[in-house]
Amino acid sequence: MDIFTAAVWVLTAGFLVFSLVKDKNKTKEAVKKAFGMGKGMLSSILSIIFAIGLLLAIFTPESIAAFVEKQNVFIATVSAAFVGTITLVPAFIAFPLVGTLMNGGVGIVPSVSFLTTLTMVGVVTIPLEIKAFGRKFTIIRNGLSFFFAIIIAFSMGVII
Amino acid sequence: MTGILNKLKENLFLTFIVATYTLIFLLRPQTGTQAIHNTGYFIKEMLLIMPVIFILTALLDTWVPKQTIMKYLGQESKLKGIVLSFALGSVSAGPIYAAFPICVMLYKKGATIRNIVILLSSWAVIKIPMLINEMKFLGPKFMIVRWVLTVIAIIIFSWITSKILKNEDLEIENDEDKVGLNINQDTCMGCSLCVQEYKEIFGINNKKAFIKEHNFEPDEEKLKKAIEHCPVNAIEWFDKESA
Repeated sequence: MDIFTAAVWVLTAGFLVFSLVKDKNKTKEAVKKAFGMGKGMLSSILSIIFAIGLLLAIFTPESIAAFVEKQNVFIATVSAAFVGTITLVPAFIAFPLVGTLMNGGVGIVPSVSFLTTLTMVGVVTIPLEIKAFGRKFTIIRNGLSFFFAIIIAFSMGVII
Repeated sequence: MTGILNKLKENLFLTFIVATYTLIFLLRPQTGTQAIHNTGYFIKEMLLIMPVIFILTALLDTWVPKQTIMKYLGQESKLKGIVLSFALGSVSAGPIYAAFPICVMLYKKGATIRNIVILLSSWAVIKIPMLINEMKFLGPKFMIVRWVLTVIAIIIFSWITSKILKNEDLEIENDEDKVGLNINQDTCMGCSLCVQEYKEIFGINNKKAFIKEHNFEPDEEKLKKAIEHCPVNAIEWFDKESA
């Protein structure tokens, strides 16, 4: 558990104690509400997690790298961004992977576009996002994030 | 109707995943094992953060008044709201879907679409633990340049989003637009707690709660209790003064 996750636990525990001291009934209601929320999201989250696990097993980081390496910069950038959208790689895998990519001769532009869409755009989390915010919000947010991921990537290429 | 459709869609996704797993295990058992192994990691990641996120969201929902959220993240918060949204997203923990319940709650309490987009995006890409990791593997210069560019991009596209999207586009019931009593049929689980609290108004039909009596002089105490007891927050009540 990283320190930030731990901090959220500590903070929430403190909040819970404060809440209990202030109003026992309201706290009980809140906990009940939390359970309700969890129940509502659990099945969606689980299907998403199984989907991510599968995608990562099929599109291994190595195969992604091998594919991106062979393309020209523009195609590599856009396809890297696309690959980034379908997978949701944890940061501790993503950064070393991008490090290897760059050491292996892949340009900075595709690497950055991959990194950005990796975390910001999630095809697998789209059903969940639609459930929370509605279709229009989800499409616009993911679409813009994708577009800007490519802009960020090319700007990085110019600056560095 | 949409409820049934959503259920079907969800199960379709699940069915599809189960089928794919079966296929993979038959054709390439090694990939299947790897997939299960990956999934195990993500389940652990989820269990580390989601329970606490739900409790935190419910507690904030209970204790932070609407006025406070509106002041810090709402229409009049301006720059303060933007900075605060970035800060909240950056110190967050967990994958992006952990931000969904929190953002929905904040939006219901009056946060702007723009601030929600900033919070979601910074939750996804500029988390501090991630930045440390990035610096370690890709160098400080890379990290800083990417960070600055990402913040600029988020500022721009959150603004664009707020220009394109109106509040009614978000399929979250906005508290301001409604007067009266309403039960969200999509979230109601038919637990009948509301009927126990206020049987003169609420009834159960087809495993969902419904409103038996629309024209009534509400017993505010009882109604409030029924609303608070609903585990999924499906009941909404707005009287004319507060709307």
